[in-house]
Amino acid sequence: MNVTFETATAATVARPQGRLDFGAAAGLQQQLEEVIAQKPAALVVDCAQLEYVSSAGLRVFLVAARAAKAANIPFIACGLQASVREVFDVSGFTRILEIHADTAAALTHLGTPAA
Amino acid sequence: MVNLIEELVLLTIADDGSVAFTAGGSGFRMSAIGACLVELNNAGRIDADLDAVHVLSQEPVGNAAIDRVLALVAAGPEKPVSQWVRQLAPLSGEIVRLALGSLAQRGILAQQESRFLWVLKSRRYPLIDGAEQKEAKLRILSTLLGNDLPTPHDTVLLGLARVGGVLEGFLTTAEIARLDDRIEQIGGIDLIAKGVEIALRDEQEQIARSFLAPIC
Repeated sequence: MNVTFETATAATVARPQGRLDFGAAAGLQQQLEEVIAQKPAALVVDCAQLEYVSSAGLRVFLVAARAAKAANIPFIACGLQASVREVFDVSGFTRILEIHADTAAALTHLGTPAA
Repeated sequence: MVNLIEELVLLTIADDGSVAFTAGGSGFRMSAIGACLVELNNAGRIDADLDAVHVLSQEPVGNAAIDRVLALVAAGPEKPVSQWVRQLAPLSGEIVRLALGSLAQRGILAQQESRFLWVLKSRRYPLIDGAEQKEAKLRILSTLLGNDLPTPHDTVLLGLARVGGVLEGFLTTAEIARLDDRIEQIGGIDLIAKGVEIALRDEQEQIARSFLAPIC
């Protein structure tokens, strides 16, 4: 899985691409934990290019959101594709995580409209 | 260190060492299989999504009960967690017996044979110091009573304990009712625990249909 990061004043935006399954989960989790350790103003995970999430992949979101909350860093997921959205809906992640339509909406929510 | 199956089994042990009747119930049988699937997922032997359980490796993990589940899942066609849970639920008696034996061997439980009315044999498993059971109960309680996001392990433990009917062993009906929203919110956020919940619901619906069929 390829992940790109973009750091701005308002937030660091992570953009995972492809399939988030058991094989990719540990790598993404480590990368998100490293970002959280740098204490960004907020962490936004833009899932627009994330095609698939398995049970192991879903736990990465929980671990990252938990670590962010413990560090007092807002954590937002956005841009969920339909298949990923379905996993979030069925599991109830949409009730425990802050979710927005896209990065622009997430940044607006954080108080900094996207440029 | 106890695994998820052992934690669930410990939660069924009453103060007098008897195994709660819930351990024989449909929900607990399904939760035991779900616990095996979660352990296999954590060990990288399987992964799961909304459609199927996918076998990643057939290499045994070294636990007889979990490896039996792995062998059966690997030998079958890919299908959803809920279908595997229902199919494998009859194995749960053996899985619970193996977990009790392992806990006794490691000195976490004692194993006592006794006779009821001098004839009927019964077996009890008194806790040696109860630390592991206390730990499991505390994890569930802190998940339920706190506002923090739980760990994946505690999420699964709560979800499987809920479906398995073991929360009733240490929470009153009123307490469970009061915490219902939080139990609902957290207990199903793991896809495998969710699959166990769906399996139990499917079975209950099937039973209800079979009762209603002659009437409707």
